[in-house]
Amino acid sequence: MWKDALESLVSSPATEKYPFQRLDAPDQLRSQLHWNLEKCTGCTLCAKDCPADAIEIIVLDKKARRFVFRYHIDRCTFCGQCVESCRQGCLQMANDEWELAALSRQGFDVYYGDDADVQSVLVGTTPPELEAAAD
Amino acid sequence: MQVPIMPAKGEKFIIPIGPQHPALKEPGHFEFSVDGEVVTGASLRLGYVHRGIEKGTEGRNWVQTLYLLERICGICSHVHATAYCLGVERLAGVEAPPRAQAIRSLVAELERIHSHMLWLGVAAHEAGFDMLFMHSWRDREIVMNLLEGLTGNRVNYSANVLGGVKCDIDARQTDAILAGLEHLEDRTRHYLNVVTSDVMFLRRTRGIGVMTKDVAEKLGVVGPTARASGVARDVRLNAPYAAYDRYPVELITATAGDLEARFIVRVQELFETYRVIRAILADLPEGGLTVRMPRRIKEGETISRVEAPRGELFYFIKSNGSDTAERVKVRTPTLPNMASVLTLAVGHQLADMPMILAGIDPCFSCNDRMIVVRDPAGRGAHWTWDDLREYGIEYYR
Amino acid sequence: MSAVFALVIFPGGVFILLAGMLYEWVDRKLVARFQNRVGPRWFQPLADTVKLLAKEEVVPDGVNAQLFVVLPVIALAGALTAVLYVPVFGLAPSFSFSGDLIVTIYLLSLLTLCMGLAGANTLNRFSLLGATRTLTQLFSYEAPFLLALLGPAILAGSWRISTIADYAAGHWLILTQPIGFAVALIGLMGKLELPPFDAPEAETEIVAGALTEYSGRGLALFHLGKGVELVVGLTLVAAFYLGGVTNPLWFVVKTLALLVGLAGVQTLLTRLRIDQTVGLWWRYGALLVLVQFLALILWEGVIA
Repeated sequence: MWKDALESLVSSPATEKYPFQRLDAPDQLRSQLHWNLEKCTGCTLCAKDCPADAIEIIVLDKKARRFVFRYHIDRCTFCGQCVESCRQGCLQMANDEWELAALSRQGFDVYYGDDADVQSVLVGTTPPELEAAAD
Repeated sequence: MQVPIMPAKGEKFIIPIGPQHPALKEPGHFEFSVDGEVVTGASLRLGYVHRGIEKGTEGRNWVQTLYLLERICGICSHVHATAYCLGVERLAGVEAPPRAQAIRSLVAELERIHSHMLWLGVAAHEAGFDMLFMHSWRDREIVMNLLEGLTGNRVNYSANVLGGVKCDIDARQTDAILAGLEHLEDRTRHYLNVVTSDVMFLRRTRGIGVMTKDVAEKLGVVGPTARASGVARDVRLNAPYAAYDRYPVELITATAGDLEARFIVRVQELFETYRVIRAILADLPEGGLTVRMPRRIKEGETISRVEAPRGELFYFIKSNGSDTAERVKVRTPTLPNMASVLTLAVGHQLADMPMILAGIDPCFSCNDRMIVVRDPAGRGAHWTWDDLREYGIEYYR
Repeated sequence: MSAVFALVIFPGGVFILLAGMLYEWVDRKLVARFQNRVGPRWFQPLADTVKLLAKEEVVPDGVNAQLFVVLPVIALAGALTAVLYVPVFGLAPSFSFSGDLIVTIYLLSLLTLCMGLAGANTLNRFSLLGATRTLTQLFSYEAPFLLALLGPAILAGSWRISTIADYAAGHWLILTQPIGFAVALIGLMGKLELPPFDAPEAETEIVAGALTEYSGRGLALFHLGKGVELVVGLTLVAAFYLGGVTNPLWFVVKTLALLVGLAGVQTLLTRLRIDQTVGLWWRYGALLVLVQFLALILWEGVIA
């Protein structure tokens, strides 16, 4: 193996000096999940099939198709089963958002949906239109 | 203060290897009784990484169980998932489309390359030959990048779904795989040369850990460990699954049965793997990737056997008609191979122990079982999860 | 006053400790580059030492506590004392007397002996095995190594290192005694427990060998001692065989060249088992050096 040793001595090391040097991730990489509100029918198969219980569908109004999608990044195993389970194609995994480490758990709960709906879920009240409809 | 106990003359001296030891990548407890440097007896205790996975399948539906079982092991994750999917598909009476089966075989063979290169590096490191360790792991990065480009992850590929595969392969990935394979084949030829002709390395591997064919068959060893002793058994040939009847594999055996033979068998299996991958890529069938699977699987039980990089992997799956499995039982190849380590250890020097252990390619995560420790005084107790947690917190306070 | 200066600052003491760390860094960096890795930065050994000195020293149960604490100090003291008789940095040795070649080699062996005793002092199985291996290895390479260093001494006609170094400065003894040079170099690798002779501290078999139970200050002192031993050993072999070390520049060039050779041999060879090491030394090492001696005696007596 002495030839290997001499070649390694004169060439640059094989180590990738992260974070100064970042290689591109391939297109197939499964990183953070994104949800498209328009096509969702609320079947919740994605939540049922998730092996890590990382997805919660909060149903505000099933008939009017108002849902809030709560995604726990810290529980997700990036397996991609939810993308397969969804028959409407609402889910896709980005391929470049893989640097998700953080110093605190803040920010690991991601809410997708219409802004007003998300706000009402976060605060813990029902949105004004639904209250009006219920009256 | 502890009173120092020195063993009397002639009395055996017990060296514990593990559960924390630089030679072991995962915890296991070996006790070798030595006399000077010669080992006179060996015993084994497992159970340090038992995670209750088989129990965990009882609360999860069929789809969730797939991902749980995939994470039994990091380097043979795809074959666990494949065995499970084949078994469940057989129970449901569906057959995955030919393109999916071919891609399953393709990823399985790429995983075999990954596993054997990892093993080559680790075994060289146990012998003290760090040069081979670093260089073979540098070349392993090629196959890791190929797998990432094909499936989306470097380990735990999650390529399988119940009913087929998730990831397709296009022309660009095919070219990348073929180019990577050429480079890897060059390097593998070089490593075969090193392993068979490096004088100092052969002094650590030739004639050490010799296991004859009779002993191998009696102990029931599987995989490359058995094939290095002349036992001609390979599940891909004896009971072809996935696409292996379309792309048959040739059996690689050796007769010497020592450590050198195990090195040679695994490195030559790499060449065979390169040939099979090229055959798959040249002749990939067209068609869909998945077939519809029912959410509730019919009642029944089945077994499923695949060839993991370490040997024969055996699954028993029982269904009771609901959307959760009734029982999944996994028997991994390392479990029978462990018995051979204990038999072979006697008579060798202590310095050979890590090498003999590395020779069977141990994967402790795969083979963990629950150990029943019986207290002869009968002072057993039942503890819940909370009791255990509290005990742990108090102990370290 | 100058004696104290020589002992504490230069060339002994602080300077040799730093030099030991520097040589250790060169060795680690070279081995890493051979393996296609990046390797540590220049201050890594210094950082390791500072970190170890800051950590708690854990004295295990069942050992003789005074011996446990004192052995690393004696080991480092032996290595530092050996520096005084050797021409480090190309300067003349600080102290010199007839017969100091034997004393220097003895002081270097004191380091190994202390490590063996430190291992035997504990109850830990790994340390006991490591201590046994250390002492076994000491007995096997010591004789050929000493004899290989005696070859130049015979030609120079003296047991005093400075005389031998002055004699060797005029003649490149590697050319006339190549076998002796090879045995001396390999003996040096055995003394420093570098791969392939690192069975006494084989990390995949016996964790850390004799030093398994050491942490904190004791481990730091042993490591410093090993670094100093590296410099002293390289100086001896370079001074005797590579044409002397007459000024600092030659010293650096020659010792670093030897270190490159050592690093190369380290990476290319697999670790030998302890019985293979002993067999190698007593069969080939001793035999070769005796052949070399025979050639020397014939040359001196018959031809010259």
